[in-house]
Amino acid sequence: MSHLLDRLNFLQPKHLETFADGHGQVTRESRTWEDTYRGRWRHDKIVRSTHGVNCTGSCSWKIYVKSGIVTWETQQTDYPRTRPGLPNHEPRGCARGASYSWYLYSANRVKTPLIRGRLLKLWRELRRTRTPVAAWAALQSDPGLRAEYVAIRGKGGFVRASWDEALEMVAAANAHTIKAHGPDRVFGFSPIPAMSMVSYAAGARYLSLLGGVCLSFYDWYCDLPPASPQTWGEQTDVPESADWYNANYLILWGSNVPQTRTPDAHFYTEARYRGTKSAVISPDYSEAAKFGDLWLNPKAGTDAALGIAFGHVILREFHLERQADYFTDYCRRYTDMPMLVRLDESDGRLVPGRFLRAADLDGALGEDNNPQWKTVAFDEADGGLVVPNGAVGFRWGESGKWNLEPRAAGGETRLRLSLAEAHDGLRGVDFPYFGGKASAAFTTGDNRPEVLTRTLPVRRVETVEGPALVATVFDLFCAAYGLDRGFGGDWVTDDYLADMPGTPKWAEIITGVPAANIIQVAREFADNAERSHGKSMVIIGAGMNHWYHMDMNYRAVINMLVMCGCIGQSGGGWSHYVGQEKLRPQTGWQPLAFALDWSRPPRHMNGTSAFYAHADQWRYETLSAAEILSPTAPKGDWAISLIDYNIRAERMGWLPSAPQLAANPLEVARAARAAGRDAPAYLAEKLKSGEIGLACEDPDNPVNWPRNLFVWRSNLLGSSGKGHEYFLKHLLGADHGVLGGDLGEEGRPKPVEAVWRDDGPRGKLDLLVTLDFRMSTTAVYSDIVLPTATWYEKNDLNTSDMHPFIHPLQAAVDPAYDSKSDWEIFKALAAKFQEIAPEVLGVETDIVLQPILHDTPAEIAQDQVRDWKKGECDLVPGKTAPAFVTVERDYTAIYDRFVALGPLLDRLGNGGKGIGWDTGHEVEALARLNGVWREGAAQGRPKIDTDIDAAEVILMLAPETNGEVAVKAWEALGRITGREHTHLARPKEEEKIRFRDIAAQPRKIISSPTWSGLESEHVCYNAGYTNVHELIPWRTLTGRQQLYQDHLWMRAFGEGFVAWRPPVDLKTVTAAVNRDAGAGRPHVVLNFITPHQKWGIHSTYTDNLLMLTLNRGGPVIWISETDAGRAGIVDNDWVELYNANGALTARAVVSQRIKDGTTFMYHAQEKIVNTPGSEMTGRRGGIHNSVTRAVLKPTHMIGGYAQQSYGFNYYGTVGSNRDEFVIVRKMQNVDWLDRPARGKEAGE
Amino acid sequence: MTVNPQDRTLKALSLLLCYPSAELVAALPEIGGVLGAETRLTALLRGDLARLVDEMRSGDLYALQERYVDLFDRSRSLSLNLFEHVHGEGRDRGGAMLSLLETYREAGFEPTGWDLPDHLPLLLEFLSTQPGETAADILTSAGHILQALAVRLGRRGSAYAAVPSALVELAGGVSDHAAVSGLLDQPDSDPADLAALDAVWEESEVLFGPDPGAGCPSGRDLLARMDQPQHAASARAAS
Repeated sequence: MSHLLDRLNFLQPKHLETFADGHGQVTRESRTWEDTYRGRWRHDKIVRSTHGVNCTGSCSWKIYVKSGIVTWETQQTDYPRTRPGLPNHEPRGCARGASYSWYLYSANRVKTPLIRGRLLKLWRELRRTRTPVAAWAALQSDPGLRAEYVAIRGKGGFVRASWDEALEMVAAANAHTIKAHGPDRVFGFSPIPAMSMVSYAAGARYLSLLGGVCLSFYDWYCDLPPASPQTWGEQTDVPESADWYNANYLILWGSNVPQTRTPDAHFYTEARYRGTKSAVISPDYSEAAKFGDLWLNPKAGTDAALGIAFGHVILREFHLERQADYFTDYCRRYTDMPMLVRLDESDGRLVPGRFLRAADLDGALGEDNNPQWKTVAFDEADGGLVVPNGAVGFRWGESGKWNLEPRAAGGETRLRLSLAEAHDGLRGVDFPYFGGKASAAFTTGDNRPEVLTRTLPVRRVETVEGPALVATVFDLFCAAYGLDRGFGGDWVTDDYLADMPGTPKWAEIITGVPAANIIQVAREFADNAERSHGKSMVIIGAGMNHWYHMDMNYRAVINMLVMCGCIGQSGGGWSHYVGQEKLRPQTGWQPLAFALDWSRPPRHMNGTSAFYAHADQWRYETLSAAEILSPTAPKGDWAISLIDYNIRAERMGWLPSAPQLAANPLEVARAARAAGRDAPAYLAEKLKSGEIGLACEDPDNPVNWPRNLFVWRSNLLGSSGKGHEYFLKHLLGADHGVLGGDLGEEGRPKPVEAVWRDDGPRGKLDLLVTLDFRMSTTAVYSDIVLPTATWYEKNDLNTSDMHPFIHPLQAAVDPAYDSKSDWEIFKALAAKFQEIAPEVLGVETDIVLQPILHDTPAEIAQDQVRDWKKGECDLVPGKTAPAFVTVERDYTAIYDRFVALGPLLDRLGNGGKGIGWDTGHEVEALARLNGVWREGAAQGRPKIDTDIDAAEVILMLAPETNGEVAVKAWEALGRITGREHTHLARPKEEEKIRFRDIAAQPRKIISSPTWSGLESEHVCYNAGYTNVHELIPWRTLTGRQQLYQDHLWMRAFGEGFVAWRPPVDLKTVTAAVNRDAGAGRPHVVLNFITPHQKWGIHSTYTDNLLMLTLNRGGPVIWISETDAGRAGIVDNDWVELYNANGALTARAVVSQRIKDGTTFMYHAQEKIVNTPGSEMTGRRGGIHNSVTRAVLKPTHMIGGYAQQSYGFNYYGTVGSNRDEFVIVRKMQNVDWLDRPARGKEAGE
Repeated sequence: MTVNPQDRTLKALSLLLCYPSAELVAALPEIGGVLGAETRLTALLRGDLARLVDEMRSGDLYALQERYVDLFDRSRSLSLNLFEHVHGEGRDRGGAMLSLLETYREAGFEPTGWDLPDHLPLLLEFLSTQPGETAADILTSAGHILQALAVRLGRRGSAYAAVPSALVELAGGVSDHAAVSGLLDQPDSDPADLAALDAVWEESEVLFGPDPGAGCPSGRDLLARMDQPQHAASARAAS
């Protein structure tokens, strides 16, 4: 039957078909409603940028702009693909980043330059009749006028100023300070250059041209793990996150990947789909704990004991009972385990001493060059002593033998790991034991003696000083781990369940983790590493590095990885992710940032020591050296205070100083010239005679104060200000909340090297200038706030250690309001300085004190510790003391130099990490690319006018972004190692990455010898890869991964080998502070730690309302149910936390997640957001740093000793803060102090 | 560029809300004159405005500037960027500023300087060039924000309160009283009032009941509050 009659041929009904069984219907309606959405999502352009905060994310974003207004942003999805079998990197970006476009137009933006009204009024008054520099000089010379604006820091009262006026005041202050006090009194602090390299470089370049001081940040943040330079001679080098996917066994140790590594967390998830097993070690039930096949929850601060127990099991089962071939071979070739250590005899007892050196032996075993810096081992075949290739002595002064080939003196060698079968005898050797000295919060009732004598095999060797006993590192190492190997004696065991230092049972008692779990994880970790040749990985959270004895935590983990051959193998290794510490094109950036193209060396200062001294935190020191000294310490002058150690370290050229001399270095150079003397020799003589002192010896003398401080890209006084209240009290002279007394008031021992002044200075800084786009805690306390561009308003470069790409920040829109980019601000400041400085400054000679630097020939300076001031040696600049280097500074051409690439690159070349190369070709290329100046002081030099010009300088000079340079760099390294490495970069020789290339798409960088991993299409980036596979030595004394530290101070402080060291007692919960916490006011005393959070800091700060809305809207602390119950606290109560350092207020989050005895406060919560007044101090509650104080550790001050030599952000004191305890109690009255604030309260 | 404003009162009010400069202080007599002659305003308001003008004439310029920065540059709840109060840090803000910018452009103006399009003095200057009905319409639509600003400034005892009050009156009063109280029903009325702050941040109790499809009440309520960013925005006035 036909349906023709029933069917329409020419028409369709409006309501026609249905589908999906009648659930769906096709309609023909107007679609104009879609225009609403089209309108909503319209835009003129999409710009690639990112969020340059110090998170490791480094995620590329699309910024949508319409009519010059940012309308929204989405994640970029165009990262270059990975290879088959490996997941891609996308999507990168997290909720914190996504909330950013809303922040751009936030009411928190600083709109115009702001100056405190009181200061501006004084300035204009003085300026009416005076030139700029004279006006500033007049202001500083009148204590009454100075006090007028210093005392009101932090109390509001800002007025708007023009750029011209603000910059004139800053430039005048800088010029006056240089003239009156010296260029090293102008300080600058900015962190994490990798997040916006050009912005960092802008300020650092200005400061370096002046001769000012750049303060380091990585060590100050305590993100620098000193264990890394100690073991590897490398600041930090880690696998990229994609390499997690290649791991077969993953330990997350104190790291909260899903929370704080959001864009990378997918690799962790994907690895688990691949079958990777994962153990999560975290005291609290963190988000990461949910991902673990096994969760171990040690008591916070006891990680080293856990790590030692893991090592105990691994050594027992894979190195002693059975030798896993892969492990033994790895340890023999890549570690110091076969190296010989001298056993020092004292009062009939033996302690491990220095490595045996070629110089100790007759004829130095034929080694003429640096024999005192070449370590010695036994050859397994002929039993003789050999000097294997690779020690630091081979690195300098000769070529071709600094490599890890199994060779010595030109022949093949196979080194003996243990003397078990080749010894002269078994002897007892002393090891320090600290477990019996734990403070009340950490004690387990352990009353073992503080020295444990363990028996091990030794050999007698003839040295030039007579017979000596030696042992291998391996044998000492096994003894340190408490392993019974059948040599007899005490303090060793073969029973895991015996309570003997080193065993799982012993660790269980300290950490609370069941021994069975410890044994299981150790076994699985090592078993996998053996079968996969190293594919066991530890992702480590920097929190473990924030304890005073961080090196013990970290070395316990590193030892585990090394004994299982996991370092340098894809899918294995040590993954310490913090900040964006990895500035990939580093050697291209350094000349720009530190003006190395115009003058060398720059003034670098380790931030921790600077803030310890100048915020006067040393005046309150509660920790004595005796408390941390080893019972096995060699005899010596150890009973001095921590700042004394630092002063000695500065004097001996170990650590830098700032300010440097107790005199203006320009005047010293002038006096030398007047005397017709060479300035360095003149200065050495004056220092020896004591006519000129070092500034560090008297930090409270006004002569030695830092005078000007720039802070940019940072919240130094807030999230980064450990000892916040001390900063306020002494450095700024503002109202503060310090609750305890200083050494004088408390009657504690005074330093012997540092001059004690009873009245601590208040307000050392003449001027604090902050560049920021928001009113941060630091800005609130500043004299001048300069509005800077945000991340969508400037051009810059961004890299991370988490992925191998370089990508840009770009100006999607012009800087909002009256703000400018950091580059333009410092450029304008340079111009203003050049304009006004000639009033008092011309071409001057400066003397820079340069510490003995790592990766330079000088790093093998001090074989022995000798202090010239104590008459133990002569003062030899650059050898027994800092080098004294004269630098010509043309203060009339600061701007001309700022915007031009200087001539030193042509003359001296470029380089880094001990490798140098000629870079004339790149300078020429930059001249063609950027153009050259036709006139002025930089005539004929390539321009660096705009931020893009500056980016091009970095990209052109760096091997990572210029293949031609990479080949040159590998060639240069090959001359030292005697091996051919250029094959690593040849395929990319013609590749030159430009700014516009990365604007189009993120680019993968090129392999360079600056880093120890490869950027290849075959393996993921993994640290140590080229050491293992290209046989390039680690940059340590032995040239190997060094598990034994033989420097005198390391031995004195008991850290030759890893040991369990309980957290130190900072004694800040004093009876005086706790006076009214008694009857009717229940309280608890808890360990205070500050992990990273989900709602702030990384990618935005903790004042983003949308992020806060997802949490509790203001500061919170986390506390366990039990502890809360003891203190009568219920969830959401306002609580106060305080100790001698200060007080803070927050809401309590009561949670089963938290382990008893600990409280968390998330890092970087802001004082300016929803913080009520403190009952203890009567001022606005402090921030997480209010209850902390930096405490230095002498072992971090060691210098002039191979890998333990100074480098900016490489080695030095670190700002640990987790050993702190606080009193927690419920608040009775919550006062928001929200009265008109002017002149009353600090904070706002 | 000189354009004769159609409404010199709006222009005068725009000027009063600008950052105090010597030039502005010098022009105060003239500004005061214009406002004093404005018959659309009640005598009471004219008096309030005169007090503000007098205060600014007699005060120390630095003190005036400090006060201005404290009030308008640094207090989020007093921001002169109108959309701060409507969209907060919300994603719609960019789009809203965009359409305002297009309004200016359609009328033949291009904003100069660095202020965002929703800066109140900028808007007032624009409205002063527009026909009375247009100005009144736009002012009316912003009435609840202006009223809230007036009340908040009043609470701080600031003479500046007279300016938004005058604008409200020029707009013919506020019709949407619910919106005003929505803005004002906030704990900055009494910063020491913890209960009010709690209410903003409180999370709802999670109940596992017979209607699992009802969604997570905690998330639902939070989202509902985020739909009204002005609530949250003013809740942080504690800073």
